[in-house]
Amino acid sequence: MQLPFYLSPEQTMRELIDLNRKVVSGIERLSHIRDKDIQVGVSPKEEIYREDNLVLYRFTPMVEKPFHIPILIVYALVNRPYMVDLQEDRSLVRNLLQQGMDVYLIDWGYPGRGDRWLTLDDYINGYINDCVDVVRQRHGLEQINLLGICQGGTFSLCYTALHPEKVKNLITMVTPVDFHVKEGVPNLWAGCSTGGQTMDVDVLVDAFGNIPGEFMNLGFLMLKPFQLGLGKYLEMIDILDNDEKLLNFLRMEEWIFDSPDQAGETYRQFMKDFYQGNKLIRGFVKIGTKTVDLTQVRAPVLNVYAEQDHLVPPASSIALERCVGTTDYTLRSFPVGHIGMYVSGKVQRDLPPTIVKWLRDRG
Amino acid sequence: MHLSEQSETMVKALTDVQKQMWESWMGLMRTVPSGMPVSPGVANQWRDLATQALKGWTTEGEQVAKDLSQRLATTQDCVLRFLELSLSSWNAVAPKVEAGEDWHAVLAKYIEQVREQFMLSPQGMQKATQDSGELWGLYLEEWQKLVQPWAMSLQRAPWRVGQASTGDGSALVELMNLYGNAYERTFGRLIESPSLGHTRELNEDLLKGFAAWMDYRQASFAYQVELGETWTRAFEEFIRKLISQTEKGETVQSLRQLLFQWIDVIDQVFAKVFRSDDYIRLQGHLLNTAMTYRLRERDIVEAFLKTSHIPSRSELDEAYRRIYHLRKDVKELKRELHDIKAELSSQAKRKPAGG
Repeated sequence: MQLPFYLSPEQTMRELIDLNRKVVSGIERLSHIRDKDIQVGVSPKEEIYREDNLVLYRFTPMVEKPFHIPILIVYALVNRPYMVDLQEDRSLVRNLLQQGMDVYLIDWGYPGRGDRWLTLDDYINGYINDCVDVVRQRHGLEQINLLGICQGGTFSLCYTALHPEKVKNLITMVTPVDFHVKEGVPNLWAGCSTGGQTMDVDVLVDAFGNIPGEFMNLGFLMLKPFQLGLGKYLEMIDILDNDEKLLNFLRMEEWIFDSPDQAGETYRQFMKDFYQGNKLIRGFVKIGTKTVDLTQVRAPVLNVYAEQDHLVPPASSIALERCVGTTDYTLRSFPVGHIGMYVSGKVQRDLPPTIVKWLRDRG
Repeated sequence: MHLSEQSETMVKALTDVQKQMWESWMGLMRTVPSGMPVSPGVANQWRDLATQALKGWTTEGEQVAKDLSQRLATTQDCVLRFLELSLSSWNAVAPKVEAGEDWHAVLAKYIEQVREQFMLSPQGMQKATQDSGELWGLYLEEWQKLVQPWAMSLQRAPWRVGQASTGDGSALVELMNLYGNAYERTFGRLIESPSLGHTRELNEDLLKGFAAWMDYRQASFAYQVELGETWTRAFEEFIRKLISQTEKGETVQSLRQLLFQWIDVIDQVFAKVFRSDDYIRLQGHLLNTAMTYRLRERDIVEAFLKTSHIPSRSELDEAYRRIYHLRKDVKELKRELHDIKAELSSQAKRKPAGG
């Protein structure tokens, strides 16, 4: 008869000593790391436009004559947009540049307390529209290409529905559309199954003002508390003696915990109208004075989702097809999770050419 | 080797390992530039050493690296705690298994004991805190922590609160009598000055705050009970998985393997609970009561601030709101001006030359 686990004392002791040795030497190694070692957002870029906290960047093209219609990347308000240009060998931006694209990126900055009254109208009809106009004017174009990521994809959808005359092609990546898909824990926590018995968004915003980034982060970590809080660091111990892997890990850590606060009124409307009311696909979302009608999205749409996405479940993104008015709709997926869409080697290899070919075919 | 003998050897090995860990952390400590003091105590000294050493070592380090160091030390701590938990279950079960009892039954009984111990504590706390007198004491302790530094700074200021206010303190005395010694010991001392005024409103705010705090505490206990139950379920599931593996002839052979199996199981159990309507309601209620308490807390703080002629959060928010609308108006006017200029320019170009 034996117990379900047999840990030999000698082996366990060796394991623990080894663990301790690695932790101690790892901390010694970490103590020598400085900011300059953890560079993120590496591709050269210039500031084109600034409004309040927002900065619009243009990345330096890597070919002599870039594709004539530029791409404007609209990232989520949660976390920072340098995820699309994390490091040289993990950069969606760099790969698009290498393939001849002209790429712009909106950096939303860090909202302060004075920004708590900003609304979705300000973000979509204000900031995004202003950036689109700046890019259009610079290139003398009526329309440009939009690439919206995650919540930025949802914003891009709203924008395209409200300003269809300014968008040539729309690409949405890991974008939530149906917020009542029950596979998504964030959807459940927001109340898609329990309705008003769950979080009271009004009292949350009234109490916090802006929603703290740490609060948002805690919510994401709670989705896999032990893997993200313990397992990940146990695995990391094994790469402590590998400088390259350790720096990659540190860049990811920096991104994960670099969480801007969320402007209170924007958060209130996004949670209530999108998450709780699921008004986007029902056609009831109002941005400013206008209602978002997704059937007005008539530009070609490339919708890319992650098959193992635990934040934006595939069904939530796939729902887009039945809502938009375009007849040119393409769906692509990758066998990765939400974060894998930015850092996976396979996605880095296959996604940029997919985007570029799709755009050139419609150029 | 008999099971209990294995168990004893394991405990001895763990003690030896802790000694070695201590020595290695001491080694690291010796190289810390600031030469931080070593804390006294016998048990788990290495944990304190770890904390001190990484603080000293990463003083000049980059923030992400500092955070990661902290997590590394925490991870090591978690590994040891996990091993201790596994060993304690082993110690409890091994003698009975050796005595020939059905080990499945023994484990089931052990898990039930773990559950009882785990659940007893929050329930007991919940019961205790249902006594409103005790709750009021706890509430005031919380308040003392919050208010004391602020009140002290005000007292040191040349324009003391007491000189600025004309309020009547008699209601405060009544309130103190009503809520007894706890109030006097804590919050009462801070606001017994006749300076604070507006006591009727303040009393109302305090009472509302107390009610919100009670709601929050109760929601918090209900949430803790649910999490405690989930922990026990996760441990039970973990053991079941190990048993199932053993029955298939697969036995976990290393601590690392055991740990990752535990993480995998525990995340699955928690993920399932996190999706349940009951949990979502509890979490929502906890969040809502916490935020409501925060709002009530703000009301009380703002009452003090108002008395002291200090701008409050609400006033600043209102100022920000007005600035926000002004900013929008300015942007809109700029757009309109731009359009008008463009239109005028266009009209000028259309006019015949020399007109």
